[in-house]
Amino acid sequence: MEAKLSQSATTAMPPAWRQWIAKHAIALYPVLVILALVVFFAVQNPNFATFDNAMNIGRQSSVLLLVALAGTMVIMIGSIDLSVGSIVTLAGIVAALTIDSAGPVVAILAGIGTGLVVGLINGVTLISLKVPSFLVTLGMLSILSGIANMICGGASIMFMDLSLTNFVNAELIPGLPTIILVALLSAAALTFIAFKTVLGRYLFAIGGGEIVAANSGVPVNRYKVYAFMLSGALCGLAGVLLTAQVGAGTPAAGANMLLDSIAAIVMGGTALSGGIGGPQRTILGVLVIAILSNGMDVTEVSSFTQEIVKGLVIILAVASTIDRKKYPFIK
Amino acid sequence: MNTVVPALALSGVSKHYGPVAALRAVDLTLARHSVLGLVGENGAGKSTLISIINGTVLPTDGELRVNGVAVTPGSPADAARAGIATVFQEQGLISNLHVFENMLLGREAGFSRAGILGRSAMVGLARDVLSELGIAIDPLAVTGELAFGERQLVEIAKAFALGRIYPVEPIVLLDEPTSALSDKETQILFNSIRRWREKASIILVSHRLSDVFAVCDHVTALKDGTVNGHWAVADATPDMLHEAIVGRPRSAGYYKEAEQREDLGEVLLDIRSVSVPGQLREVSLSVRAGEIVGIAGVLGSGKTVLANAITGAVRPASGEIRVGGKALKPGSRADALAADVGFVPAERNIAGVIGMHSIEWNMTLPSIRSFRVAGLPFLSGSRQASVTDGWIARLRVRTPGRAVQIRNLSGGNAQKVVFAKWLARGIKVFVLDDPGRGLDVGAKEEIYVLLRDLARQGVAIVLVSDNLPEIIGLSNRIITLRSGAISAEINAPANDKPAETAVVPHMV
Repeated sequence: MEAKLSQSATTAMPPAWRQWIAKHAIALYPVLVILALVVFFAVQNPNFATFDNAMNIGRQSSVLLLVALAGTMVIMIGSIDLSVGSIVTLAGIVAALTIDSAGPVVAILAGIGTGLVVGLINGVTLISLKVPSFLVTLGMLSILSGIANMICGGASIMFMDLSLTNFVNAELIPGLPTIILVALLSAAALTFIAFKTVLGRYLFAIGGGEIVAANSGVPVNRYKVYAFMLSGALCGLAGVLLTAQVGAGTPAAGANMLLDSIAAIVMGGTALSGGIGGPQRTILGVLVIAILSNGMDVTEVSSFTQEIVKGLVIILAVASTIDRKKYPFIK
Repeated sequence: MNTVVPALALSGVSKHYGPVAALRAVDLTLARHSVLGLVGENGAGKSTLISIINGTVLPTDGELRVNGVAVTPGSPADAARAGIATVFQEQGLISNLHVFENMLLGREAGFSRAGILGRSAMVGLARDVLSELGIAIDPLAVTGELAFGERQLVEIAKAFALGRIYPVEPIVLLDEPTSALSDKETQILFNSIRRWREKASIILVSHRLSDVFAVCDHVTALKDGTVNGHWAVADATPDMLHEAIVGRPRSAGYYKEAEQREDLGEVLLDIRSVSVPGQLREVSLSVRAGEIVGIAGVLGSGKTVLANAITGAVRPASGEIRVGGKALKPGSRADALAADVGFVPAERNIAGVIGMHSIEWNMTLPSIRSFRVAGLPFLSGSRQASVTDGWIARLRVRTPGRAVQIRNLSGGNAQKVVFAKWLARGIKVFVLDDPGRGLDVGAKEEIYVLLRDLARQGVAIVLVSDNLPEIIGLSNRIITLRSGAISAEINAPANDKPAETAVVPHMV
């Protein structure tokens, strides 16, 4: 009888490693996609799996990581920030305009400040006019693009002071370009904020159930504004870094960041409906996109084909990463 | 002959999920043209049994017979052909379809010629069924625009429509039909069930014993997956049923009346002529430390509005609400919470808990600031864990651990987490809107024990509820509301509880 009992108990409970996999499946899928991509490209071209190329991938994806982290903080509360790319553009232009006259520190602060103000406007518009974030930030995207083009008049803004450019390409830690370091530190800081601070807990709570959060004493409106300000400031920083990296402020700098960042966020496992996921997940999503782009560059795939492949991989990756049990239906 | 062969007979039905037995050798008989009540706590096996009868769950063992003929177990199509139809707790209607389309959903094949639906035949049949049942709903109405109670009637009509398509007398399974209905809607439903009995055989699953006595002919009690009693309702008493469901005799104090405090403290909550245009008129009321004040009223009487005004969710146009002597900013939830007003909302899953988050995250949400480490902006993980574990143990929340998502808990355990949210924070005033909603008898009793504990600790409690026996049993005083104004104040000391008949006239 006892033997029978223990036998039925083991058949009912899957072994520990399978439970662990089931529990972490959502985080493991992107890792598997990354491994598959790495193996595939390494076989295609021996230059892919090298330290130098890994640093290339890092340099190419640092700005995208910052933008995707920014978007994550807003998607966590169940809203969306479509103005991320246009903030990158405008903040980059502001930094390019100020660096020669006021120096790199002011340029950095001006860029971040630009993003912060835009985020504040996004958030306050959302809560005071009760316009959905999708539309508020869609409008903001258009406004900022217009402003950026007016400032630039169609051309790029060049600058002479190369201190910032040298700084982001330098290696504060030998072997690791500073821009990658900044992006990784930002990711770590945001993960800490998400899971170890009142701010993070409130953002998750708002995304998980706004009414419950309000009933529990969360100042919902104020924290929504904080989420958009955080997003704006991060995009501002991303804009400054991009301008430093490129060596100019250009009116199209952030144009293709929006879709890549949303794809990275969702692939990482943060639900568009909010409440679950987080910045740590987004890192993996960004890696998928970065490795894919770099790998196709290295294997000399034409840029048109790249777009098609990227679209397919995004759909397939999201199809396999979203934990569909959490969604009663998909629209 | 018909009276001898039951409409539905189950014998030896068992269902095992791995090592867990959800049902063990259940025998059940539904006589033709009768109403059988099926009662039991959450987890007693009622839902599993219903699912086996309608074919959506395959039993491990056992036999089903409809009118003496064996039905293939685990086949929803076979069950439907035998006339078995289920009216679910969560409504199974599609809100953007018309009533007639919902009633015949999945049965369109019989109305279709070369893939084109014969709309007029469908509408005609739906209208026929509705009028036969005495339900005054237009089959061409859009389902989503109907009131909740009306949609429930459409579900029932859907079950009867089945009897028109297959030449059988329907066996209708009603799963908790009254849990979301107002008293008036419940009355209408019960009157209808009594009439429909002539055309169908009905099983009524319910948490409420009053439902059983109102409308059932027989009653079967389930406990831990076995039949723990079967009676003709005429021979049963509420105490007998209660004992069969809970497995222990109904103590004289289901509502812990003996623990009711009569020595009350200072006034903690003071409501002074609060008005909300069209909803509340000049309501004044004070609640003392240790006192439970019950707010009774019908739907639309303003009782929920009053609860919302206290918690700051609704802004009164005039009047004042004081907590501990200090006036609250009207319509400010933040101010009410800062004054230590806790709130248990009626819609637990929308307003009480975040289903996708863990017990820990839910429980610590109102008090999260107190978990910061030494004024620094980060949170202590170990302290959150130990506080959460402490409340899980004290409130006996049944869960494998604090990391479990709330959505995986039963209603009673989720409600305990809502209580713990506030207990972990510390409160002076506790406002509860229908705290027993959707809970079984045992879970409710545990919630009542918690309320008595809180009163003993000097919390002032405002209890809004649709459940009159609950209000009478728990409250020191009962305030009845009618059309937004206080219509009576009735004392309810432990040794002299008013009868329901003394309260109801002030509500209607």
